[in-house]
Amino acid sequence: MLRRALPHLAIFAAILGLWEAAIATGLIRSIMVPPPSAVMAAMVKLYLVEGTIYRHFFITLWESVSGFAIGAGIAIALATGSALWEPFRRYVTPYAIVLNVTPGIALTPVIIAWFGYGIGSKVALAAVLCFFPIFVNTLTGLTRPDRDREELFRQLGASDAQLFFKLRVPAALPLMFAGLKIGLTTALIGAVVAEFSQATEGVGVLMSRFSFQLNMGASIATLLSMTAIGLLLFYSMEFIDDRMVFWRREARREAASRARARAWKARRGD
Amino acid sequence: MALAPDPMGVALRRGLTHAGLFLGLLLLWETSARLGWLNPLFYPRPSDILLSFGRIYVTQGNVWYHLYVSLGLVFTGFLAGSILGVALGSLVGLNPTVRRFLQPYVIVLEATPRIALAPLMIAALGFGAPSKIAIIMLVCFFAPFINTLSGVINVNEEKLELFRALGASKWQILRKLVLPDAVPVIMAGERLALTAALSGVLVAEFIQRDKGIGSLILTYTRNLNMASAFACIFTLTIVGFLIFKGMEWLDRRIAYWNHDADMARVSARRKARWEAR
Amino acid sequence: MTNDAAPVVTGTHVGKTFANGAVVALENAQFNIPKGTFVSLVGPSGCGKSTLLRLIAGLIEASSGEITLHGTPVRGPRQDVGMMFQKATLLEWRTALENVLLPTELQRKPTRADEDKARDLLGLVGLGDFAFSFPAQLSGGMQQRVALARLLQTGADVLLLDEPFGALDEFTREHLNLELLRIVGELGATTIFVTHNIAEAIFLADQVFVMTPRPGRIARIVDVPLERPRRLALQTTPEFNRLVVEVRETLGEL
Repeated sequence: MLRRALPHLAIFAAILGLWEAAIATGLIRSIMVPPPSAVMAAMVKLYLVEGTIYRHFFITLWESVSGFAIGAGIAIALATGSALWEPFRRYVTPYAIVLNVTPGIALTPVIIAWFGYGIGSKVALAAVLCFFPIFVNTLTGLTRPDRDREELFRQLGASDAQLFFKLRVPAALPLMFAGLKIGLTTALIGAVVAEFSQATEGVGVLMSRFSFQLNMGASIATLLSMTAIGLLLFYSMEFIDDRMVFWRREARREAASRARARAWKARRGD
Repeated sequence: MALAPDPMGVALRRGLTHAGLFLGLLLLWETSARLGWLNPLFYPRPSDILLSFGRIYVTQGNVWYHLYVSLGLVFTGFLAGSILGVALGSLVGLNPTVRRFLQPYVIVLEATPRIALAPLMIAALGFGAPSKIAIIMLVCFFAPFINTLSGVINVNEEKLELFRALGASKWQILRKLVLPDAVPVIMAGERLALTAALSGVLVAEFIQRDKGIGSLILTYTRNLNMASAFACIFTLTIVGFLIFKGMEWLDRRIAYWNHDADMARVSARRKARWEAR
Repeated sequence: MTNDAAPVVTGTHVGKTFANGAVVALENAQFNIPKGTFVSLVGPSGCGKSTLLRLIAGLIEASSGEITLHGTPVRGPRQDVGMMFQKATLLEWRTALENVLLPTELQRKPTRADEDKARDLLGLVGLGDFAFSFPAQLSGGMQQRVALARLLQTGADVLLLDEPFGALDEFTREHLNLELLRIVGELGATTIFVTHNIAEAIFLADQVFVMTPRPGRIARIVDVPLERPRRLALQTTPEFNRLVVEVRETLGEL
């Protein structure tokens, strides 16, 4: 583990060293790219000494997650409705396509006018931006033709509800989760862009404030907190995905297989 | 003989229902604004939006200039960013050592909302076109880079063996196998990139509000001229639609072997060329 | 005549057309299949063998004529027939055992007895140790065995098999064919087996329905008077070769 990480660390240190040296010798102007030492200093100040970043961090996280929850909820409900009821799909699809080709970010000023300068507008933009990938992936997953297995279900006399819950929904899960992962990323973008435009708190506000003060070290330090939010959101969804769609990965399949054998034994005693 | 369903009639009826539903929604919106249920200051009436379209396109005609400025930036940034992405993607994809050491940086970059770098770019490069193009390049770079990378890595192992058995050079393998094989995936990345470019220019223009369609939307909204703001947004819908269709067209030209009709067309053309020889 | 000899599946003037009569998939099929008989449907693509199978399963409706199962006309999918396809069509999020239990689950909540039966069936197809494995953990041949166990779990005594082992390699296929013969023999099930392999059709069957295309029809019914249990060595006997020649002649290949 350490042996594998060592070259990575060495390269990382070398890059930082070269970078620092390039600025120290005047090869790169520090006003454009801050030296690593300035970033470190800013991080110590923001994260440890003053600790100001945490409040903004959690506000942006909260905006992204609640926007995502709203957007995903509507997207999944509409996609399920569209999958179950063909006329509904016919009438929803054109509007969904219009929404898709419109850059959602263009709505930022309007949404701020509607929902105000507070958290509401950030949540709304996050919800708007994450809607489409989730809608389209869920709908595609639920309506993807699966002729052989549909024929099997029909031959076995399955009802429509059984076909939906026992075949279509589980079969749609992998695509749906792919959509949810994209949606989480775009929700974060929505929250941050809305913060750029008009806000008093959140990492986006810090980012634009530090940038315009030409405090590049602090800007990069703030950017890294956005990376942290991005990683946190992505890996949380990855974690859920990995457990819900357990049949995709070898290790999870084996774990699930053992768990079911144990549950069977516990329930039946044989 | 049984009455066959009349496809024209069905299509017409469906089209009419769609149009009727759409008009009904517009009418509902219009009347609720007129009756004061919706504050027309914030929620413009459809009729006002229509009038604004006329104003910004014809009477004032100011939207053309801003659209021209924004789209110029979009295409410049997109071309630069995506060419860089494809080039670096193939370079990294072909070199396992570089790939291994770059991987952590790619993961970190993937999780970072790239557009968040916009204020930083403007601070570093100053106001004006260069910082805007840099922002667009930044948001465009990643999807082609990642897709090229994965396309190059996931090259068909058996085909690769065939090329090696035929004694192909590294360059030949790249030119004749890896890149064509990766083209559909790269094109998918380019589609994402162009869409991102459009969002990128808007964010850049929101932050430095001098010209371009993004700053126009912002100005109109701040002046509570919501109808005009919406006319601009629907303009972007049309632009987005054209971009979507344009990329689809390009995809069919470049990756023709994935579409039956295009394959037949190319096949016929090659046959004609062969016979002319 | 004993009750055993009464036909389980019958077809009278069965026809099926698609695309408003433009494509004749099957024309005037006439047959009586007695209980416990193993019938092979053999012929080139487009001869209507899969259509005939789907008609018997009630998955599609005949354009003309009538098919009866156990004396009652087929009007839709029924529980007294079970079907198996070329693809295993397993649900990848269910263990082998849960896949076998699916037919029961679609009818009612499985009882302990149903569960016991499913486990026994997995044992019967040689997968006793793999009850809790997911399809992706099994080889192609093992997946088809699960599909066979699932078919038997339905309790149907008429088994419809549409090239069930067609996607597997030759060795696995021969082996599974022998297992299939043993299992249907033990159960006394009536079996209809679709294939395009003439030797396989003859080797397995009591009766071979030789089918020809355009329009799809049963050109001839060849009886196979070979002793059971069948052994692989049978395929080198003159008697077997005579039957192969007979089928090939009907198909116009000689």
